[in-house]
Amino acid sequence: MSEMFANLALGFGVALTLKNIALCFTGCLVGTLIGVLPGVGPIATIAMLLPITFGLDPVGALIMLAGIYYGAQYGGSTTAILVNIPGEATSVVTTLDGHQMAKQGRAGVALGTAALASFFAGTVATMVIAALGAPLTKLALLFGPAEYFSLMVMGLCFAVVLARGSILKAFCMIMLGLLLSTVGTDLETGQERMTFGFPPLSDGIDFAVLAMGVFGFAEVLRNLENPETRDVVRTKIGRLLPNWDDIKQSIAPVLRGTSVGAILGILPGNGAVLGPFASYTIEKKIAKDPSRFGKGAIEGVAGPEAANNAGAQTAFIPLLTLGIPPNAVMALMVGAMTIHGIIPGPQVMTKNPDLFWGMIASMWIGNLMLLVINLPLVGVWVKLLQVPYRLMFPAILIFCSIGIYSVNNQPVDVAFTALFGLFGYLLIKLGFEPAPMLLGFVLGKLMEEKLRQALIISRGSFLTFIERPISAGLLLVAVAILVIALLPSMSKKREEVFTE
Amino acid sequence: MSLNKIEAARGWRIRSTQDLGAGLFMIALAALALFLSSDLSPGTLRQIGPGMLPKAFAWICAGLGALLAFNSLRYNGEKLSGWSWRGVIFVLGAAVVFGLTVRGFEIGPLKVPQLGMLVSGPLVVIISGLAAEDVKLKELLIFAAVMTTGCALLFKYALGLPIPLAPWLLGI
Repeated sequence: MSEMFANLALGFGVALTLKNIALCFTGCLVGTLIGVLPGVGPIATIAMLLPITFGLDPVGALIMLAGIYYGAQYGGSTTAILVNIPGEATSVVTTLDGHQMAKQGRAGVALGTAALASFFAGTVATMVIAALGAPLTKLALLFGPAEYFSLMVMGLCFAVVLARGSILKAFCMIMLGLLLSTVGTDLETGQERMTFGFPPLSDGIDFAVLAMGVFGFAEVLRNLENPETRDVVRTKIGRLLPNWDDIKQSIAPVLRGTSVGAILGILPGNGAVLGPFASYTIEKKIAKDPSRFGKGAIEGVAGPEAANNAGAQTAFIPLLTLGIPPNAVMALMVGAMTIHGIIPGPQVMTKNPDLFWGMIASMWIGNLMLLVINLPLVGVWVKLLQVPYRLMFPAILIFCSIGIYSVNNQPVDVAFTALFGLFGYLLIKLGFEPAPMLLGFVLGKLMEEKLRQALIISRGSFLTFIERPISAGLLLVAVAILVIALLPSMSKKREEVFTE
Repeated sequence: MSLNKIEAARGWRIRSTQDLGAGLFMIALAALALFLSSDLSPGTLRQIGPGMLPKAFAWICAGLGALLAFNSLRYNGEKLSGWSWRGVIFVLGAAVVFGLTVRGFEIGPLKVPQLGMLVSGPLVVIISGLAAEDVKLKELLIFAAVMTTGCALLFKYALGLPIPLAPWLLGI
């Protein structure tokens, strides 16, 4: 316990320097600025803003990225409440009651409640990360290549089951991501794999190119095709701070949402996405009058928002301790860290304690800043929501183009990104949801490395994966979750959850 | 009567062009990957070679694709919807133009000097802006100028990234 506080003190020492506070602030601000734009989800926001962290030292860059991440998350909720467009799966739930509240002239209260609930959940989740970080990192040191491989298999199985839409198609996307990750020079033999003999491909497909192509450009194409009906709230925003009655109504949902979200977020699959759904269902089940839900019940905003933020934050745990990203957004964070020369995993905490704890401390500071900057700036966000899409996407394009160029100072990368944009558009047209592909792509290289190591150690016997107890347990969970999801009764329920 | 028999009785026909397309797409990609990795040695389980995983992943992709295509004959689903060439050409074209002009290029007889961001930037904004149905040219021109100035200040000066502004005019 005292060790945890000592670590946190170290972290705050790093995060509270003037420069890092400024970076955290800037990150939160621009993250919200971009994240609030309708049709731009957190993945696209982070992909787009990656380049602005390039000139910084690793600690500063990560602090800023974490800020961008929270800003993007929070911006998504704002759009959900004010425009009824969820930026991503996790804010779908917020649109249900949040937008209704806004229509009743209580937009300010909905936003304020969302911000306060998020802040509370963020504070708790930061403590959870600080408390679990060290023990889990020790656990990670017990993991051999076989365990790592099985853990990643399990994570990918979770991602398949929890993805939106058809399970089969999500499975396709994961495998496609894994396949794409094998392009480039083979690490052991130095042979070029599937590069068409084209030199820029010998380093493999660049992560930023793939992410910006599929999530930046292809999203623009998707949005251009379906001119969204923006249902921007015309009524007044109203007062921002919830009154005593609102607070009394939301306290219990926030507590429940925080615990549900924090626990689900730790799962090394995309557990965080379940948090808001679970919280909403719980609140609706135990409410005295469930019929209020969907008509502007404040519990339906407070609970899921708390769960959303708690999950968004504890999702860092598998990444920071095991080096395994649980979802597409965290996969982006891995990409960003790698660009700055940091390989996420248990060694980060031992080798760069200032970076590890500095980032955790800045998470809390970031949450505080969101509260401080977002509520007074609500008017600005509302203005931003009225920017027409015909101006928004050219801005996205110039930003992405300069950004991709800056990754390697390679003009040809921009053309490549356009190619991946086309690829992403094709995927969307064929009914694929590309987020799991990014996860597969990021995990692919690591999986191959661990598989090879494990098989060398076991002299070519696949039995090693079931003979080692931890590895066998992880694989068992993976099989179990797939079987459960494929049971007819469950797949029906799953559809209900995702369509609600 | 089992569910399968009911399905079979209804006959085989294409019930979802989207899923069929998706299945064929996966198979085509897998075939391409298998072709490209055909000369890579798979190695043995004891010493996995460079070809083992690409081939394994490709076969799984092909299998999933076949399953998707097969299911599209049995279960009803979405239809393929139209493809918007306007968006593809202007949006992706704009990015390609940026890539080609920012540092210049030479393909055969065609030669473009380093134009830098002050030219490539407005080009991206204007070309991509044409993709919108409700494009307003004057607004777009002003917006292009504002965005380029903003990006130049942000990326070149605030962030110090080495991107050429206008080497032919300013020398930077």
